Order: sequence, then structure tokens, then C-alpha cells
Amino acid sequence: MNVHDKHKPLTWWEKTYLPGVLAGLWLTTRHFVRNMFAHTLRALGMDVKWLGSVTIQYPEFIRPLFPRLRTHHRLTKRDDGSPRCVACMMCETVCPAKCIYIIAEEKPDAPDIEKIPKSFDIDLGLCIFCGYCVEACPEDAIRMDTGILEISSYGRKGMMRDMQTMLALEPKSKRYVEFDDEGDVVSEPFVEDLD
Amino acid sequence: MEAIGIVLIKLAFVLVFVLSFGGILTWVERKQSAIMQDRIGANRASILGLRVIGLFHPLADAIKMFLKESFRPANAEKFIFTLAPAISVFFALVGFAVIPFGDKLVLGDTVVNLQLAPLNVGILYLFAVAGMAVYGVVLGAWASRNNYALLGGLRAAAQMISYEIALGVTIFGSIMVYQTVDLQEIVRWQGAYFWGWLPAWGVILQPLGFLLFLTVGIAETKRVPFDPPEGESEIIGYFLEYSGMGFGMYFLTDFIETVMIAAITVTLFFGGWQVPYLAPDGFHFPWGSELLCAQWVVALLQVLGFTLKIMFFLWLQMAIRWTLPRFRYDQVMRLGWKYILPISLANIVLTGAAILLIK
Amino acid sequence: MAEITIDGLRLEVERGTTVIQAADQLGIEIPRYCYHPGLSIVGQCRICLVEIERMPKLQVACHTPATDGMVVHTNSDKVLEARRAVLEFLLVNHPLDCPVCDQAGECWLQNYYMQHGQHDSQVVVDKVKKHKAQPIGPNVMLDSERCILCTRCVRFCDEVTATHELGIFNRGDHSELAPYPGVELANNYSGNTVDICPVGALTDRDFRFKTRVWYLNETPSICPGCSTGCNIVIHHNDERTYKADGARVARLKPRYNAEVNQWWMCDTGRYGFDFVDAESRLLRPRKRLGSELEILSWRKAMQAVAMAISETVRKYGPDSVAVVLSPQMANEDLFLGRELFSNLIGLANLAFEVPKLEPEEGDALLMTADRNPNSKGGWLLGLPHHHEVSLATLLQVAREKEVRGLYICHHDLGQAVADKELEAAFSQLDFLIFQGSNSNMVSEKADYVLPSTTFAERDGTFTSHAGRVQRFCQAVAPLGDSKPDWLIFKSLAKALGHAMPYFEAEDVFAALADEEAAFAGLDYGSIGESGAQLSPGAETKTPAKTKERESFF
Repeated sequence: MNVHDKHKPLTWWEKTYLPGVLAGLWLTTRHFVRNMFAHTLRALGMDVKWLGSVTIQYPEFIRPLFPRLRTHHRLTKRDDGSPRCVACMMCETVCPAKCIYIIAEEKPDAPDIEKIPKSFDIDLGLCIFCGYCVEACPEDAIRMDTGILEISSYGRKGMMRDMQTMLALEPKSKRYVEFDDEGDVVSEPFVEDLD
Repeated sequence: MEAIGIVLIKLAFVLVFVLSFGGILTWVERKQSAIMQDRIGANRASILGLRVIGLFHPLADAIKMFLKESFRPANAEKFIFTLAPAISVFFALVGFAVIPFGDKLVLGDTVVNLQLAPLNVGILYLFAVAGMAVYGVVLGAWASRNNYALLGGLRAAAQMISYEIALGVTIFGSIMVYQTVDLQEIVRWQGAYFWGWLPAWGVILQPLGFLLFLTVGIAETKRVPFDPPEGESEIIGYFLEYSGMGFGMYFLTDFIETVMIAAITVTLFFGGWQVPYLAPDGFHFPWGSELLCAQWVVALLQVLGFTLKIMFFLWLQMAIRWTLPRFRYDQVMRLGWKYILPISLANIVLTGAAILLIK
Repeated sequence: MAEITIDGLRLEVERGTTVIQAADQLGIEIPRYCYHPGLSIVGQCRICLVEIERMPKLQVACHTPATDGMVVHTNSDKVLEARRAVLEFLLVNHPLDCPVCDQAGECWLQNYYMQHGQHDSQVVVDKVKKHKAQPIGPNVMLDSERCILCTRCVRFCDEVTATHELGIFNRGDHSELAPYPGVELANNYSGNTVDICPVGALTDRDFRFKTRVWYLNETPSICPGCSTGCNIVIHHNDERTYKADGARVARLKPRYNAEVNQWWMCDTGRYGFDFVDAESRLLRPRKRLGSELEILSWRKAMQAVAMAISETVRKYGPDSVAVVLSPQMANEDLFLGRELFSNLIGLANLAFEVPKLEPEEGDALLMTADRNPNSKGGWLLGLPHHHEVSLATLLQVAREKEVRGLYICHHDLGQAVADKELEAAFSQLDFLIFQGSNSNMVSEKADYVLPSTTFAERDGTFTSHAGRVQRFCQAVAPLGDSKPDWLIFKSLAKALGHAMPYFEAEDVFAALADEEAAFAGLDYGSIGESGAQLSPGAETKTPAKTKERESFF
């Protein structure tokens, strides 16, 4: 279909804008009255099923995150606590935002490991959370499952994350959606401890 | 002449009334739009943990506006730049002087006319004052020394002047019906009843005039859908360079004008302070029953009735503002010049013909 | 002559040409590990198997001479199947080191695996463990597990350098590359074994873990290490500046030039690029006021230097200022320096060579004793050709105040003369100007320092000792405020009131070629990537044009 066909010339009545205005007002007024009614009844202490809003009151309530959601990066560790990363720079290479900065060094006196990152920084101010770094990693050394979404800072420097910070992060499963045996989502928006 | 004390009390009453309406409108705007859109709206400002459905937000806004830096561009025309927002607010406010908000209040020997300035040319005064409003905008835009602000000012000037003409013409019909330009008289005129039960409000005599006036009035407030002069976030308007309270005053002007349009609409087309079947001594219902009450109660009911009518029109204007998308600038101009003006001229002719016919 | 058909393409080749050479001439790529055009043929890796009609079995392309009427298929199913099998065989014991291997990205095992292999490993037993990450010399790291036993490095040490350090030890899948006991791979060409190693068995210790090869950009250049003028490629890291402590030039690799260095270069040149990103780089023009150093803008520095030179010449005559150009400079620099100082200002004392305190030695292969890339260029431009006397004379006339101002380019006189002697001479001067890329003994003493770029940061030409003019290209941006030498001379000429119509190094070379018979007819286009050989007759020295007065030199 030609897109121009959608733009039929307006009739004289439509050109006055009145039908459009009235139809719009009817819609919004309907919503207003219905929601206002629900709000008022609830304010009067009555139990109303109709919520009147779709808002989730954010800092107190947090939507459950889906398991595949990509959040703040973390670096995984070997059994001895050293980073799994071997500084192959695959993530740095694949990163479309060029926000990963790795400097490699030789691991002194390690039998099996030759190369380790001397520093591994991510500039979250540049990161677009595409998850390519996780895909590219041959060592499963980087993951984006911390459930941390609140990433903010007063300056650009505050958006830099170094290796020690990211090694210290743990996966945070309770933020993610829970399913029951039938595969239905059972988690509710939960209350975060605000401390 | 009334005692100066009474005038001052009335003045204080009207000012407090209008300004608090203007202030609360910022809250109403947020809340009403939220409820229309299935949201909750501003509810975070709190005093000692008390949130009162977000009613502290206007207060927080005011504090923010006063505390923020009032920045002035280096090249701005210092004097006019500072003065312009004040001009805007001033002319928006003084219009209320001639709006009657009640009939009479008899307090012992004194009879208080519930109208600040009993001018016998009230409507003309209103137009004069409304015509001055464009200065606040254009001067502010020009004094900013910013091309975008100036362009916004140009759009505002063109739009306001275009609709000013239509504004005058739309009311001619009403004036022809009422045969007076004194607003108090106009309201009293609307105290009559057709067939003994239908209040003779202007909207029944001038339905087309009402529709046109409301449209033009909204256009005069420069709010959506008639906001190409402002378009804060997208097209940059005349108050681009204003911050802090300078911006706050322009912002407030919009809301005061909204109240103003509601007040004039009520006065001209919805019987002003007239409450149906309320005579100076109490209610006289068409089916014969009566409910008499004291004069001060009547006055109070009239003021309340006026207030409620204004609130309805404020709600309507908000509903329109949050329903319609913005007109393109050429659409604004076309609507003003090619539709509203000719139709309101036709309205005059029709009204004249009708009056002739009836006589 | 033999006519051979490879993949349907016909070619006439000399007798004795192998199939792989014929294919190379046709531009048909046959995979190879052990075959290298600069080394003998061993037919060890078997990856170059091709199908030859009327031969029952596949043949190795590297060791099969082309015969008349031979019809070769390099891409038949049989060949591809064989390659896949050979690759699988080579990979049986190859460790999965790619993430930590410096060869990754330029590894032929990776490349051919992606092109021809693509199989899953069928090996169920453990891989054979061998020695990992052993430094076998000052420059080379050996990882025996990664080695595919092609023996290119062994043959290189046997045939090219004839130093015989490497060998293959043990048998079967325990075969292992190693240096002979008690021997280090320490010859001056050891870096080439890294280049020719098709896998990550031999890697560069200098380059180890600095960056990944795919982050590097390549620019053709000429090694400035000696007068041979080996063709090289500068591998430089432009985007990821945080790697390797901010060094932009990551490594130098030889570039094939049949006439000059073939596939090789010496370690001295290969690892001698540190100065490009060194701490000692001079970044801003500066002036010495007592013990204070003042940073100047180029404009102010040029005005001050021009003032110093012209004042001294006005007061004490043109003999009172001496200029020492440098064979480190490109032809363009030397030409413009000669134009400026000799022709425009009329200085009589113009030198360009300074001997070192301890003379270097060359070797029989590539490296020459003259560690300057452009001595020949200076001679061809008629700059004086006699050293030892001149420097001593220079210092003497400085001490005796016959020379009041000295303008030294690049030379570190501290390497040629004892410090005391220099002190004595410099203290008598009205001004000492140093122009160069890195700080040295002279720049420490100089009244004015003019920072110039290194070879990697500019365009230009060097003339090798064999009389070959070769171009080098700008790889990275000039560090700090440094400028190419010719541009400094141009600015100085402008400050002295002489405009020069040159905007690129190419313009200067065009003027040079116009003026100098030896370079006649050359331009950057005709020099190209492989250089242009000057005719032997042109090598005769022409004296500098204006030499009205007797020079000290």
C-alpha cells in the first residue's frame, strides 16, 4: 500500500477539527473520570480492583528483572580468587562503544597461566550494555548478571569501574524474575532495603 | 465610592484567589494529566514525611524558582530583560479588576459591590489589558538578545495579535445581545429565565460565540495546542534565556491567563456569579417551592458558584491541553485568519439578523 | 622453459621453478608453512599438497618442479580434503592458546583453519605437554607446544645467519624445537625467526602482551638504523593509546625488497625504535635563561633564533655562525638546510657528519658500520665529507671565539667528544641552538631547543649507502609541538625574511630533484614503495654551490 493513500483529504466537517477534538476529549475524559473515581474510592478506604494507574513507585518497588537482562558487569574469579580473565582482549575488540580498557601483563611464576590483566577498566559512561563482551569472552570471565541498574555518578570519572570493583561483585538473583513449575512468572515487585 | 479599606480587602481577596489558583494549577496540571494518562503524578514532595497527594509540589517549585540563579545573558538589555516578566504578570493580573465575582454584599449599612472596579466599559478594559500582554512577551524576547528567543517572540506576537482581533470580534455578538459592556450588568442580564426555567446564560444565546471565544482564549494563553511561541522542550520559545523567577513569572502568567480565560468565559457565557434560581433573597425554584436565606449566604453562594464554574473551565482547558497535539504554526495562522475570524464575523451578522427578527 | 597450467591458468616458467613458485607468479595462493622463498625447501608441513594430473597421489607444491605440460589443481575436493586432514594432524597437539597468544590475528594456523579446517577435534587422549614460554634469547620467546615443526627458524639460522643455534630434538610427537644446549638465540637477526614462524611458537619478547596485532595499523617506512636502508613496516597503535604505556609505535617489521633487505632486518634496527615514544623526546621549543627553561611558541622561537643568527652575522661576519646538519636527516632536510644556511644566509661553515667516540661495526649481512640512514644523501648534496678534523677544528674555533654561534642538528656531541672539551667550547659561544627529536648532551646545554619529529612522524626520503633513494611515510602524528626538520628550516627562513614555496616534503623533493643532477627526474611517485636506484655516475660529489670564503671544515 502506498503510504500516501493513508492521507485521505479531510472532509469539510473534519477540517473544522471539531470531531477530532471531541473524540480526543471523550477518550481522555473517560480515562480521567474512571481513574479519578478509583482513586477517590480508594482514598475513602474502599477496596477497588481498578488500579487507576500503571505506575510502579520506583525506589520502593522494583520491577523484577528478566534473567537475560544485561546489567552491571562483573568479572568472574578462579578458585583462588584471581580473575579468570586472560587479557585476550576479545571483549575490548568486539566492544562497539570502545569502553573496555585492558592492559595485559605476564603472570609471574604461574604454571598454567601466562597472561593476566594488569588492569581491566570499563567506562560505563560509554557502555551501551549490548553484552557483546559476554558473548565474546572465551573464558567466561565477564558476565552481566549483577542486577545492578542504578549506575550514576556526579562526574565522568565516577563511571569508570576497575578490575577490583568488578571482581568483588556477585550475581544478584533475587532481583530477577522467579517462575513457578508451570513456567508462570510468580515474582512480585519487591521492596528493596533502602539503607 | 466605597471606603478604601473595603477596596483593599477586596483587592487582597482577588489577588490571593487568583494567585493561589495560578499556583495550584501547576499541581492540577500534573495530577490531571497523570490521571488522564493512567499515571499517578507528582507525589514525592513531602514535609516531615507528609505527602498530601503532592500538594507540596507547587511550594517546592516556588522555592526552587526563587533559589535558582536568575541568569542574564551578557548582551541582554538589562532593564527590559528584568522588567518584561513583570509586565507579563502585571497585565495578566489587572484584568481581574473588572471581573464581578458576586452581586452585592450587604454588611449593615455598607453595600459592597463584589467587583474590584465597577467600570462601565469592563469589556473594553479587558481587551485593552489583554492587548498589553503581548508586550511582556515581545520585550522579553527582544531583550534576551538571542535569535531563537526573538523568533519565539515573533511567533508569539503574530499569534497573539491575530487572535486578539478574533477575540474582539467573537464577543461582539454577546455585546449585541446584552446591549452593554459593563460586566456586572452583563452578569445581571443573565439572571433572567427563558420560559421561566431555563437560565438565560450567554451560551444559549451565543453557542457559536462561546465555542469561538473558548478557542481564541486558549490560543491567547499560548498553551498547547497553540504553543508554537513557547514549545519549551522542542522549538524553543521567547523565554529561552530566562531562568529562576524570571522564567517562573512567565510560567505563572500562563496559568493566570488560563484562570482569566475561564473567568471571562464564565462571565460572558455562563452567567458569571449567577446560581440558577437564586434570587437576592433565596432560591425560587420553577416548580414553586422556595428556600429563603440571609443576604450574606446568597453572596457566599454566588461567589462559590462563580468559583465552581471557573474550576470547571480550568478543568476543561487542562483536558484540552493534555488531549490535543500542537498545531503547526501555519495551521495556527490559518485557523485564526481563515476560519475563526470569518466565522465570528458571520456570527455578528447572524446575531444582528436574529435581533432584528425578534424585534 | 616449461608450460604449466594451474587451476586453468597457463604460465611459462624457467626450468627448476617449483609449482608453488609458479602459483605465486600467477597469484594463486597455495597454503604453506615450511616453504619460505628465502630458505631451502624441506617439504615438511605437507599443507601445500596439490593434485597434479597423471600423478596418482597428491604432491607437495613446494618441492615439485614444474614440468612442461603439467596440469595442477589447487582447489579440487581431493586437495581440500587433504588440507583439512593435514590441518587436523597439525592441530592434534596444538594447545588452545589463541586468547593469550601474541601470534593470534597473524597466525597461519588460525587463517588456514578458518579457510580449510573448521573441524571439531576427534582427539580423545590428552595433548602432549611440552615446554611453554621459554626465553631462548634476548628477543625471542619459545613456546614448544605451539610449534608445528616447520623448521623455518632452524633453516634461517643455518642458511641466512649461519649461526646454527636451533634444532629439533626428540622423536615423533615428542619432537621439540629448542636451541642447542648452552646456546642462546642471540644473533643479531633473531627477530626474523619470529617473522617467519607461521604460528605462535616463536614470539617477540619486546612486543609480548603489549597489544593485540589487530589493533595495529601499518605504514611503510625505511629503517633509520644504518645506511643500508632496510625497507620496513611500522606497526603503530593509533586508537588504543592506553596500551604499552602510551607508546604509539608497537614494532617494526621488515618489508620485502629484493634489492635491499629481501625479507630480513637486523635486531639493532628492529628494536631500535624506542626513541620515537621515549621520555627524552623534545616536545616544545624552549629557551634557556640561566638555569630556567622557558617554553616558547614556534613563532617566538623562530624570531629569537633568526634574531640571534642575523645579529651575530651582522656583528662578526658570516664566518661567525657554524651549522652542523646531520646524516640522520632526510634528503629534504639536508637540501633545505643547505639552501637556507649556505645559499640564503651565506654561512661558510656547514658540516653534517660527526664521528662517534667508539666507532660502530657492521656485519656481512645487512647492518653497516655507518649508523646513519642518510650519509650518502648528504654527500650527494655536496655537504662536506671529512669528519675528524672538522669537529676538533670546530670546537677549537669556538674556544677561540672565532665562531660565536653554533646550530647543531640531531648530533649528540657527547658521543664524539669528551664532556670537558664541549663545556669549554660551549661556554665561549654567544648562542647554541639544538634541533632534534630527543634530548641529549647538546640539548641540555643549548640556549634554544627546536623539537623535530622522528622518522615515524613525517614523510621524507633517505639515500642508502648503495645509492638507493627510498621513501618513508608518516605513521603517527608528531609528538607535542615537534615539526619535521625541513619545516623548521622553512619557518626559520621565513623569520629571516626568505619565503620558501614548500608545503609538503614532496615539494621539497621536487625542488631537490630539479636542482641536483644526481636526483634528476625523480619524484615521490617514481620512487614508489621500493625505492629508486641512482645511477652510479651520479654519485660523484658536487661541491656546495656558494663557497666564496674558506671554511673551517
